[in-house]
Amino acid sequence: MKLNTKDLISAAILIGCAVIGLWLNTDHTMGTARRMGPGYMPFLGFAILLALGVIVLIIGLFNGPDPIARWTGPEIGFLLAGAAAGTAAGLVASKVGGWPSAGWNSLGLGMFVGCMVVAVVKSWRPLFLISAAFALFGLLLEPAGLMATIAICVILSAFADETHTPKGVAGLVLFLCVLCYAVFIYELDIRVPVWPQF
Amino acid sequence: MDLLANLGHGFGVALTLNNLLFCLIGCVIGTAIGVLPGIGPVATISLLLPITFGQPATTAIIMLAGIYYGAQYGGSTTAILLNLPGEVSSVVTTLEGYKMARRGRAGAALSIAALGSFFAGSVATILVAASGPLLTQVALSFGPADYFSLMFLGLIISAVLAQGSVVKSIGMVVFGVSLGMVGTDVQTGQQRFTFGIPELSDGVGFVSIAMGMFGIAEIILNLERPEARSVMSGKVGSLMMTREEFRRSIPAVLRGTTVGSLLGILPGGGAALASFGSYMMERKVSKGRHEFGTGAIEGVAGPEAANNAASQTSFIPLLTLGIPANAVMALMVGALIIQGIQPGPRMVEAQPDLFWGLIASMWVGNLMLLVINLPMIGVWVKLLAVPYRHMYPSIMIFCAIGVYSLQNNVFDVYQTVVFGIFGYLCSKLRLEAAPMLIGFVLGPMMEEHLRRAMLLSRGDPMVFLERPISATMLAIAFIALVAMLLPNVRKGKDSALAEGG
Amino acid sequence: MSWAVGRRALLACSVPAFGGATRASAQAWPSQPIRLIVPFAPGGTTDIVARLVAAGLQERLGVSVVVENRAGAGATVGSEMAARAAPDGTTLVMSNIASHGISPSVYRGRIRYDAVTDFTHIALVITNPTVWVANRDSGIRTLADAAARARSASGLDVATSGAGSSNHLMVVRMGQLVGKELNHIPFRGAGPAMQAVIAGQVPMMSDSLPSASSHIRQGSVVPVAMASAERHPSFPDVPTFREQGFDLASDSWFGLSGPAGIPAPIVERLHRETMAFISTPAVRARFAELGGTPGTMTPAAYTEFIRSEVATWAPLVQASGATAD
Repeated sequence: MKLNTKDLISAAILIGCAVIGLWLNTDHTMGTARRMGPGYMPFLGFAILLALGVIVLIIGLFNGPDPIARWTGPEIGFLLAGAAAGTAAGLVASKVGGWPSAGWNSLGLGMFVGCMVVAVVKSWRPLFLISAAFALFGLLLEPAGLMATIAICVILSAFADETHTPKGVAGLVLFLCVLCYAVFIYELDIRVPVWPQF
Repeated sequence: MDLLANLGHGFGVALTLNNLLFCLIGCVIGTAIGVLPGIGPVATISLLLPITFGQPATTAIIMLAGIYYGAQYGGSTTAILLNLPGEVSSVVTTLEGYKMARRGRAGAALSIAALGSFFAGSVATILVAASGPLLTQVALSFGPADYFSLMFLGLIISAVLAQGSVVKSIGMVVFGVSLGMVGTDVQTGQQRFTFGIPELSDGVGFVSIAMGMFGIAEIILNLERPEARSVMSGKVGSLMMTREEFRRSIPAVLRGTTVGSLLGILPGGGAALASFGSYMMERKVSKGRHEFGTGAIEGVAGPEAANNAASQTSFIPLLTLGIPANAVMALMVGALIIQGIQPGPRMVEAQPDLFWGLIASMWVGNLMLLVINLPMIGVWVKLLAVPYRHMYPSIMIFCAIGVYSLQNNVFDVYQTVVFGIFGYLCSKLRLEAAPMLIGFVLGPMMEEHLRRAMLLSRGDPMVFLERPISATMLAIAFIALVAMLLPNVRKGKDSALAEGG
Repeated sequence: MSWAVGRRALLACSVPAFGGATRASAQAWPSQPIRLIVPFAPGGTTDIVARLVAAGLQERLGVSVVVENRAGAGATVGSEMAARAAPDGTTLVMSNIASHGISPSVYRGRIRYDAVTDFTHIALVITNPTVWVANRDSGIRTLADAAARARSASGLDVATSGAGSSNHLMVVRMGQLVGKELNHIPFRGAGPAMQAVIAGQVPMMSDSLPSASSHIRQGSVVPVAMASAERHPSFPDVPTFREQGFDLASDSWFGLSGPAGIPAPIVERLHRETMAFISTPAVRARFAELGGTPGTMTPAAYTEFIRSEVATWAPLVQASGATAD
């Protein structure tokens, strides 16, 4: 057997989505072929997805080897830790009340914490630091305003690339603040808080 | 002459100051992202989508279209000078173009690329103008069953032409279709797969998906494999072609224009497929075929004409049927719908300004590109000196502001993070994002047409085989699928590098 | 031509958007562009009327008014979106007989807003009758033809702008009078439905008069019956349902609303400007051409009217057995 790891994982994703989808779809009435209910098309879709997943799985058993990069111990450990920490942070945030529980802040906090934990591992940094900076953008924008948010997110994302210099980052922050103010606030007039709200 | 009157009307729209300005902005941005590897038109257009809301629909589409065909011009510059294809569609240009540059004929290669593109663009503009209204008449006779089958064909072709495994690509298409089911069912009002989240009742955010899977995921991938930016060596040389080069290029440009125009109309087709098709053709039939591999000018002229022709004719299915042929066109559908315009056969009649204005602007844009490109090649090459560490935070911030400003809701920002991570995972697993995006856009339309077709046929699925248009579409889809399972065809395709953009 | 209005509106939009006239200098309303949600696909009555009103308000308020189509589920998708928006006067919705009269009963249990309490109702804009039209080559010229087709083995397909519209209920009630259920084909709005009827995919359509009127005048569809008590002054040649022996009449209405809690001064200003606009001679003439009557109610009266409509339709919907499934 020549296992194609990429195909096997792909198959797992497709099959997983299909099974979850089919299960969720049991809530919806199927209707008849003539008068299709809300569940008809999703059923068709997920059933085909399931079939394709199985085909990918079978092909993946033979057309390898095509391994994915091996994960080291810390990589796996921090990924799991990040998932756990993120979930915990999200749950805690949704319970404590006040700002962390308002709106989607608990979701954003969970994402941010989870991504930051995983980003401790250097090889995960591009993926999770960028994601964390993006989540942070969502968290900060409304309370802190656009300018502060740009500065903080750019600085955080700068750690994803080692060639940055402090001076270069400062210049970039300044440049982006001016550019975004000119384009989004002055010219396009989008409804975004610009300065911190106290 | 109706056509002339309509084109005249179109130029009237395209030549207003505001539209000219945005056409220019689109062309410049397009050229810039064409020059820069790692930023494609799909990511850029999804990035700029929210910015266009404040503009009238015509202006917005003119600008977005400019980005798309501008990218084809820009991509060829770096392909020729640096052996660095800025776009997938200019991969084949590197084969002969860079060889020409090494022989000191870079200037001639750039000239023919620009002139060939301009010629092809002009022809394609006329083609769109002439065939659009005709096809619209045909499109009006399309019933729900025909629409369903046509979309089905489009999905199959987009999967078949995608890189890598066909089965996986179809899987991604179906995944996209399923994702499109999230939200309120348009017929029964049932909330599907929304988990009680009000933000999802109108469906998963299209821009969030596009920006996550193309914008954010691309940043991360680029950060992971820092690309060595080769510095320009040697001189561009004279932009003038020799008489001999010019003579050899003419037939190649003509063939490239034809191939490109045809492949662009195909659902699932686009610039990348066209340039590859034209390259294969030149290698077989051109007079200079023995020179291929050492810098044959036909190998630049043909593909460059083809990719530009295709990027314009791929607007035909969008403008006449409302069906996107590739991922960029899927974004255009999104842009139009957000502007309150339902793409479809009635667009010519209901939105003459948009339809004819866009067509006229394509020609204007091509002229602009010719003017801004040849004299400014040096400037564009300098753009490559901007280090990626300064680019990615900017792209990220623009993405974030764009996504947020869609509905002033941070939920969209978090949604984008999820799709960013998912997009990264997909590219690691060689699961193609472009077919998924097309599936996502076409899925809800397919469901609507399927339901209506079955209502009208009283539940008889044979309607899909009884109607000639529908049956033809399904037959082509079937043939395309079977052909891909044949080893020879598959091998040919794998080198074609079709991203649908 | 409805697009002519739209185009002028678009050109007008482009000036503030790029020229910078709307720069957020003053905090007073209106300083931001206003979004007017149309809960149907482009081309229907709601859309036509919304674009007229948007152009009028834009001129009178000095900010751009952008029409946004959010179709689906008997106009409830777009209306829900409006109900959830911030009540700052920058998001408005075209309330109508579907989203704020009939759909609450048809989509019972699935709809997530209250047609009265979740909105600030501002102005009734237009009321108009329903008209039944047929494809030119369908062979249907009278309701008797339609009834005969319905009773035949193949049955009669009738397109509408969506389940939950007054047009949908007309289809259900007509089926009861004919004695055989008609095959109801819902679309996302009257625009796409009319396109299918003109192309011959569906032989008949039950439509609000304004969206059908231009097609009737152009002769691209044949008017079969008007669902009004008397013959319509703009279409005196079209016989009513009653004249043809079917005791049916149906009016639909369209108005301007926003999310609950819009400050009173903004409501007052919007109401005043809307009323002033729809009573100008040009707009009155346009409404007459479309086959509609301009509304005159105060915001309070319009709110009461919607409350009574929801209450009136509930038993009627239940009795008709109309559902969205």
